[in-house]
Amino acid sequence: MTSEPKNGAQPISEMINQAIKQKVDYLDVLRKAITDHADEKIYALLDQRRYAAEIMHREEQMNDTGVMGLVDDLTDQLSNYLSTKLIKYLSKTYPFFYYEEYQTGHYRIYFGNWWDRRQFGELDVLNIRFVFDQGEYQKLAESFELNRDGKRYNGAKIDKLSKENDRLQGLIDSGDERAAKKEELQAELKEASARNGLFESSKNRETRESIVSQLSELEDQEEQARTASGKIKENNQLVLELSKENTILSYERKSITDTFGSFEDFEQENRNLYANYLQSLVGSGKQVIDHD
Amino acid sequence: MTSQMVTSASQQVASLTDALAAGLKRGEQYVALLNQLATTSDEEELLAAASQLIDFDLQDAYVKFPQHYEPEDYYLLLVGRLLELAGEDDLTVKPDPAHQRLTMHLTSFKNNYTFCFERKRNRPGAFFAEQGDHEPLFNLDLTHKLLQFNNRALVDFLIVKEINHRNDLELRALLKPLVTFANLLADKLAFTINLGILATENEAKFKLASPDLKLTVIDRLFVQTAETAAALLSLPKNNGAKLVLGEGVALTLAFDPDDFSRQWYFTVADPDAKLSFLDVLLHYSLVRNWYLGNRGALAIMDSRFSLKPENEVVSEAPVVKDEAPASAVEETEGEEAAEKKPASASAEPEKEDADA
Repeated sequence: MTSEPKNGAQPISEMINQAIKQKVDYLDVLRKAITDHADEKIYALLDQRRYAAEIMHREEQMNDTGVMGLVDDLTDQLSNYLSTKLIKYLSKTYPFFYYEEYQTGHYRIYFGNWWDRRQFGELDVLNIRFVFDQGEYQKLAESFELNRDGKRYNGAKIDKLSKENDRLQGLIDSGDERAAKKEELQAELKEASARNGLFESSKNRETRESIVSQLSELEDQEEQARTASGKIKENNQLVLELSKENTILSYERKSITDTFGSFEDFEQENRNLYANYLQSLVGSGKQVIDHD
Repeated sequence: MTSQMVTSASQQVASLTDALAAGLKRGEQYVALLNQLATTSDEEELLAAASQLIDFDLQDAYVKFPQHYEPEDYYLLLVGRLLELAGEDDLTVKPDPAHQRLTMHLTSFKNNYTFCFERKRNRPGAFFAEQGDHEPLFNLDLTHKLLQFNNRALVDFLIVKEINHRNDLELRALLKPLVTFANLLADKLAFTINLGILATENEAKFKLASPDLKLTVIDRLFVQTAETAAALLSLPKNNGAKLVLGEGVALTLAFDPDDFSRQWYFTVADPDAKLSFLDVLLHYSLVRNWYLGNRGALAIMDSRFSLKPENEVVSEAPVVKDEAPASAVEETEGEEAAEKKPASASAEPEKEDADA
């Protein structure tokens, strides 16, 4: 078996060499880009198809599968490496986002630097995009929506709890009143009971039953009043939590409005982040060259 | 009818004249000291005169001086003279014939506030207090050369009582001569002073009396900042919060992350280092309402100079006393009040001022 298997006219060894050369070339270019900290070039190499489509506006370019996976085991390191410039850019364009590298190349996003700011998702450095926590993001979107109608995110819940607290406070405050009423009813009951027995009139029985039911209602209220102050405290704690969330959302809305004008503009900016960022790199690169 | 003491007539008279002369000499000394207090332009001499007059014993079996001042009056005269020498005329000393004493009034303040010094048993020095509520704003101790403002009293007087009646500028004007006086003592007479919540340096730490702070207290401030110009920020090391109030003014409530005790404290930063913690309470209703609503948790510690047995000033130790919650404005939860233990300190427990 000395004859070499053939693939068309090309000997297989040549094909392998060709493929290896492509890989080596790719890695050479990548290595140089890394050495030069030419982040734009690195991004172009890491996702050729996206770069061509969004920066060169060429839709037909496909990723070269022969080289794409070559640095897959380095994604965390590459992400860490590329984050420096990206986060610097983001801190200007999204001044309200803060990042925490919780492990190499992985970044948590925090919305704001205020008291009890929220963790808002992660930053995908290699793909230049925010991966927002959908639950948190939804709250914010909804809060913008409600704000248009002059409403607050937890407004309805807070109103409900406040009303409940008013009612409970009423129960506490009406303790004396209830005691007096109870005394009165008990006297009436005594009187009505004196006239019961075998020949009790149906009217008297109704009266008696009505008194008993009123007394039992008072007892219910008394029971509620006993636990009311604890309940009020609990509700106040809930109101505080809900108000806190409202406050956080109001800080977030203000940041977005101050920076982008509207939530829609913010979303638009997010969609264009890849292109905007890479273009900014080209722009700043040129400037440096111009000044040299 | 035989006297065991056999003396001649002349001896009798001589012993009386000796005694009278001694009494008159005592009176002369008194007059000389009063003159010194009234006329000297030297601060040291002024202090010396006041100190001696406070301890001066005018009692004499042979010569009576029915008209004289009381020790409390000399403290007041010292304040008046020292401010006069410094060209400060916001405080004036007036006689109060009804009580046979001297009183102090603010010329800049359209109010009939009357200030006097009061002395307390077993406590050194005297206490400067408004005569409506007798809560002493500061303690002046000439022997140990100390002046110590009382934070609780300042808050009660200015923030609880007065803020609804006048604006913060008027109230700051009220404090000005008192702070000037304290600074004069420090600058001219080497007194150790503690301005408490009147200190304006940006580094001044206003420590909380309560040993720990529930973060819900900060939450309550946070929710009040919604839709306002103020913003409550988290500190980078998660060791507290910073309230940004605009124009470079910020109030921080924090603890030192490296300090095991986690002592919480306020600081006030402003570009000119002119604002004290009290000024922030006076000026910003957001902070004031929050502070009063949570005073049990946020009260500022009142430190007291501790005195060595040989009566030397050693240090400023955190002491049991704190700015007590004012019941009228308090909404403290029961357990918070119950939990609140005084920070244990080396100094001996002392009684609250207010009950004296």
